[in-house]
Amino acid sequence: MHVFLLGVSHQTAPIDVREQLDFSSRDVGAAVEALAARYSAGEAVVLSTCNRSEIYVASDDPARARQELIDFLGSYHGLPPQAFEAHVFEHTDEDATRHLFRVAAGLDSLVVGEPQILGQVKDAFQVAATRQCVGPVLTRLFHTSFGVGKRVRSETALGEGAISVGFAAVALARKIFGRLDGRRVLVVGAGEISTLTAQHLRAQGVGEIAITSRTAAHAEALAVDVDGRAIPWSDLRVALATADIVITATGSPRPILTRADVEAVTSRRRGEQLFIIDIAVPRDVDASVGEMEQVFLYNVDDLQAIVQENLSRRSSEIVHAETIVGEEVERFAAWRRSRGAVPTVVALRQRFEQIRRAELQRLEHKLGGLTPEARASVDEVTRLIVEKLLLAPTSQLKALPDEETQIAYTEAVNRLFELRDEAAVSPASDEVDAEPPNRTRS
Amino acid sequence: MKILPLLLYAVSAVAYAIHFARRDPAAGRAATASLLVAALAHTFVIGMQTMEVRHIPFASLPNVVSTFVWLLTLSYLYLEISTEERAMGVFILPIAIGLQTISALTPGVEKVDPVLDSPWFWIHVASLLCAYASFALAAVLGLIYMLQFKEIKKKHLGYLYNRLPSLLTLDVMNSRAMTIGWVFLTVGVAVGIVWTAQARPLSPDDPNLRAMSLDDPKIFFAVLTWAVYSFALFARTRLGWTGRRAAWLATVGFLIVLLNFLPIGYFVTTSHTFQ
Repeated sequence: MHVFLLGVSHQTAPIDVREQLDFSSRDVGAAVEALAARYSAGEAVVLSTCNRSEIYVASDDPARARQELIDFLGSYHGLPPQAFEAHVFEHTDEDATRHLFRVAAGLDSLVVGEPQILGQVKDAFQVAATRQCVGPVLTRLFHTSFGVGKRVRSETALGEGAISVGFAAVALARKIFGRLDGRRVLVVGAGEISTLTAQHLRAQGVGEIAITSRTAAHAEALAVDVDGRAIPWSDLRVALATADIVITATGSPRPILTRADVEAVTSRRRGEQLFIIDIAVPRDVDASVGEMEQVFLYNVDDLQAIVQENLSRRSSEIVHAETIVGEEVERFAAWRRSRGAVPTVVALRQRFEQIRRAELQRLEHKLGGLTPEARASVDEVTRLIVEKLLLAPTSQLKALPDEETQIAYTEAVNRLFELRDEAAVSPASDEVDAEPPNRTRS
Repeated sequence: MKILPLLLYAVSAVAYAIHFARRDPAAGRAATASLLVAALAHTFVIGMQTMEVRHIPFASLPNVVSTFVWLLTLSYLYLEISTEERAMGVFILPIAIGLQTISALTPGVEKVDPVLDSPWFWIHVASLLCAYASFALAAVLGLIYMLQFKEIKKKHLGYLYNRLPSLLTLDVMNSRAMTIGWVFLTVGVAVGIVWTAQARPLSPDDPNLRAMSLDDPKIFFAVLTWAVYSFALFARTRLGWTGRRAAWLATVGFLIVLLNFLPIGYFVTTSHTFQ
């Protein structure tokens, strides 16, 4: 059984192609069911986010699976294969495993280490699982990927530190004020970053957001965007007295807040801390304001520096995260290989059991005189002998290190025990796989 | 007997250090659990001593120090559990270990001078110890505040920045610890004054009682401590001395407390030497 993956992601396909192949806006569950019905293995998971649409299947024949998946994508989305085939990537077995583990760890994300993707992977699996579209291979694969995501999260700093100016400002505000609910925000001048930052702050539950701008209309517009209140430009200094967080982003060539302005309201602030985020270039707030005891002044360069540092810290954690992924890929591969031995193991067992039954049958006339208890004992003893004989070959076959060796061993076992016929008629049986070889059936 | 809690405190300190370095929630829970065990063991030791001498072991300085460590641990545990902030553990435990070591190395004899056998004495010592434990917490909070303040002010957001709580949280906790400490200190000092006044006519020849005046270093420093903390509370509410100034006062105040508690208590004072 092979793991096969086919899909598009932000690394292989432009946005318009990804949009056309998107499943998330439609019924993913129906897509998974349609898929699973088409494949002999019946295992399929569709992972679809704004950055990727990926289909994972368990298949005995990856080449055929590839063709079927291309056909499926085309027919499901109503596109000719030529429209997307060039942007599609595909992976088999260890490569597919590695890809999923990297995705779950946030290593394949546009913003490395972002946390949402792990939840999306879990959801994708859940959708398939509730529709009974996954079997042992994909269940194991996805459950392992959740573990990888968790390990990377807890053992590395991959997802730590804000990586946008807005979030860096919010993180700082939280280190100054703790919880932000009820904090008063003053936004001076409307701009993209100040809007984003105000929105992040709003999401953190701040109290009133007062907005002022030299052009009143701009303030009004921003007030609507962030659920704030526009105040006249002339009230700037009044609002300063009660604000906890001030964001400045005007196009003024000269500072609009000087040390004297802030000092003038200090006595009314009674030692309350003031966090000023000056996003404007040239700067809106005189640098000497930052020297005041109760003022924390960060300009756009300071915030960019934090973002850069966080980004470089994240990238230095990538190696560590990749190591974890590598370990887990190896572990999963070993498990998958052990499953490759299942048909042979099943055939071997059936062969032995067949011989045992035949022998008991042959000795029927001699055993006929025994009491029922004694007959049961004979049955039990022979069964145990067979189990014991099979114990070592079973575990050895499952632990073979690579596929080539496995084929060689399987071939040898088939020939030694003349299993060819049984192997052909008994496909991989999960019941047998799930049962430890040393368990007696008494 | 005091060695067991000491060892457990040491184990706990290691756990807090690991939690601080790795920020692993499991390590944090282990640290809290180990400190709870240490506090329980310490409670047991103090309980045993209490049963043995039939009063809380307050009457010799090493035992007082040990009881102080016990109170500090309990109040820290309360703070930690009520705020879910574990970062202070790594700062508090060295103090606990240091003081407990001093206490363990100098065996104290619990013999109560008959002059001390009064309910006033127990209230006096107990409230002062509670005050000092609160001040110790306030000082550590102040110290952490200054570290965190420096990180944010200097825009150097490094190792400590990520691990320490927010400035406001620290300031609020500091204020609370100082206020509680001040109340206990006031009660302790007031009871001391009233009780001395009452005891003096009863045993006019007791050298300890005769030494009870502002000239005695221990009493002088106790009053100074009260003055410093009273000013800190006044300045916070009236002058807006929050944040770093409050943090400084908390640290300075506790340095005076420590000075009074150990070197002066052990070597200099002529009052308060009741054995």
